[in-house]
Amino acid sequence: MSITVEFFGIARQRAGVATIEIEADSLGAAFDELAGRLPQWSTACIDDGHLKSTFLANVNSRTFITNRSHRLNEGDHLLILAADVGG
Amino acid sequence: MTHTPPGYHGRYLHVDLSTRQSDTHPLPADVLRRFIGGSGLGTWLLQQHTPDGIDPFAPDAALLFVFSPLVSSPLTTSAKFAVMAKSPLTQRINDSLSSSHFAIAGKKTGNDAIIITGKAESPTCLVISPESVRFDPAGDLWRLSSHRASERVREQLGKRFHVASIGQAGENLVRYATVSNDGRHAGRGGLGAVMGSKQLKAVAVTGDRLTTYAHPDELIAYSKDLSRKSFGPATAKYRELGTVSNLLTFNRLGTLPTRNFQQSEFADAERLAPETMSVTHERTRASCAACTIGCEHIFHLSSDAPPSPRATARGSAHGESGVRMEYENLFALGPLCGISDPDTVLRASQLCDELGLDTISAGGTIAFAMECAERGLLDVPQLRFGNGDALLQTLRLIGHREGIGDLLADGSRLASQQIGQGSEDFAPHVKGLELPGYEPRTLQTMALGFAVGTRGADHNRSGAYQVDFSNQVDRLQASPDDVRLAIETENEAAIMDSLILCKFLRGVFDDRLAAMAEMLHLITGWDINTAELQETADRIVTAKKSYNIRQGWTPAEDTLPQRFLTQAIPDGASAGASLTKDALQAQIQAYNLARGWTPDGYVVDESSVK
Ligand code: SF4
Repeated sequence: MSITVEFFGIARQRAGVATIEIEADSLGAAFDELAGRLPQWSTACIDDGHLKSTFLANVNSRTFITNRSHRLNEGDHLLILAADVGG
Repeated sequence: MTHTPPGYHGRYLHVDLSTRQSDTHPLPADVLRRFIGGSGLGTWLLQQHTPDGIDPFAPDAALLFVFSPLVSSPLTTSAKFAVMAKSPLTQRINDSLSSSHFAIAGKKTGNDAIIITGKAESPTCLVISPESVRFDPAGDLWRLSSHRASERVREQLGKRFHVASIGQAGENLVRYATVSNDGRHAGRGGLGAVMGSKQLKAVAVTGDRLTTYAHPDELIAYSKDLSRKSFGPATAKYRELGTVSNLLTFNRLGTLPTRNFQQSEFADAERLAPETMSVTHERTRASCAACTIGCEHIFHLSSDAPPSPRATARGSAHGESGVRMEYENLFALGPLCGISDPDTVLRASQLCDELGLDTISAGGTIAFAMECAERGLLDVPQLRFGNGDALLQTLRLIGHREGIGDLLADGSRLASQQIGQGSEDFAPHVKGLELPGYEPRTLQTMALGFAVGTRGADHNRSGAYQVDFSNQVDRLQASPDDVRLAIETENEAAIMDSLILCKFLRGVFDDRLAAMAEMLHLITGWDINTAELQETADRIVTAKKSYNIRQGWTPAEDTLPQRFLTQAIPDGASAGASLTKDALQAQIQAYNLARGWTPDGYVVDESSVK
């Protein structure tokens, strides 16, 4: 599955890129793939295979997801956001 | 309980500007424990000092500066105070918090709160120290920006004084004028106009009265640990990018209010994003007093920025090139008004600071006027979405109450009642307070928070947006089952606003209420647990509701403007998102019952909040 990962805020700072195309069919697979492609991002944002509590994952601007086994579909946009959106 | 607990002076100062008299009154220890300080204690005091149905601009209306047990402690982000009054914008309770050395100096006057009533015969600067209360003439300060006025007062009195003051918007009774201090603002609800109505240009405070701590060694150790945590990843967003980093996130999720809430995405958001502006504009960082996080990001105007329409010929040079940007002023003076030029947004924010205008209400009211003008309901040809010159000019007119500014100085609710022709349906307010930058049709737990908020549409008293940004709810489908989650955020805010502690610390705590109970214990010695804090939070929220009921609240006020209940989001990531009146009403009724009130929101037992 080809998906687009979009980074926002601190996640983008740590990734060093705004978006990246990867192959992944689940949230866990996406994190594992990103660990190889963007190791500095993974070190900063992933803990034991999951997003650290200061970040959120969202699919297609619609659904917030946490479960590594959550299925991703071809063309999905996986957004990595700050968990704290206080303004 | 009879002894004043550590962390408190156990008294408040009452100043009457009409009679030029002042006296102090004891604060019972049980009241301090039940209402803590800041917003909670202020609510209790305001109950005692507000005649039913009083005009917020009447001399007898009370204006409060309320400190807290944490002020002056080594706990990071604790240099905060609450300004409180009946709001001239909403006619309901208003607590507006700010953060500066004014909090520390104010508490060192030896008082836990300062209550001001009456009206001065001429412009006055109130000078308060432990030894005296003085009423200095302030005719030479009138018409100065709040920053210049504060500078002038400190030149005259000495740097040991710290000053809260108003700009021209407050003098001209703009109903969303701010109270400014050290470049920070108690922004919402028009408390600067209450100061103006009393001819009170400034309040200067100094002192040397310290309070003790119940467990000083443990408090210092706890404070050091908290400061260390505040440097960690939980606050990185605030340190490195600031709240402005919300902009692109909200835009991508289709929840960024745009063109007076007609859309929820802004095509030019990238231009205004901090990621872009950090490249195109010089940026520096600053922080409030006693804060180790430092979330203030100051952007400097580029050399070819539009000229500033100055507040007055005697206007301020404050921040000539540097402007503190937060998500809320960015959204309100940018996308909400269709403005995509960063320098125009910076200029507009700067002008709000100079005049002393709440940026959210200013942006919301002007965006509303732009829509009215585009629909032919207002004959002001230049008022069009995206017209930066019109935005800057209208802000100046509002601050001076000139031309169209006189109408808009009363906020979108009163302006819409004057304009009529259906404009009330898209005036972006709840109870008169303009909505902050969270689109309620796409954040439907927050929609409830806005509707029931005692000070109106507000993101600081309800943090229900946190619930919407999670997998706990479907943010596009309001459900009565979710009200408990909304209440939890409201209760947490009630305690944080009473301690007072910065909400940007939230992420560093594993168990926030437990941490707050621990801090209170170390300072006051109270054997307090999270269950008691929950009760305290319920009491404070109910006390605010009870206050509003006495001031004329009816259930019809707890709603959203018709636009949000009849129109779907037209395009973008949230296209089709809609919220019905029935769905919102079901949430509100569930909320009222969960609070222990009647289904339509009346308080059943007022005795607990007295
Ligand atoms: S985090 Fe920001 S708002 Fe909070 S106290 Fe620090 S500088 Fe002030």
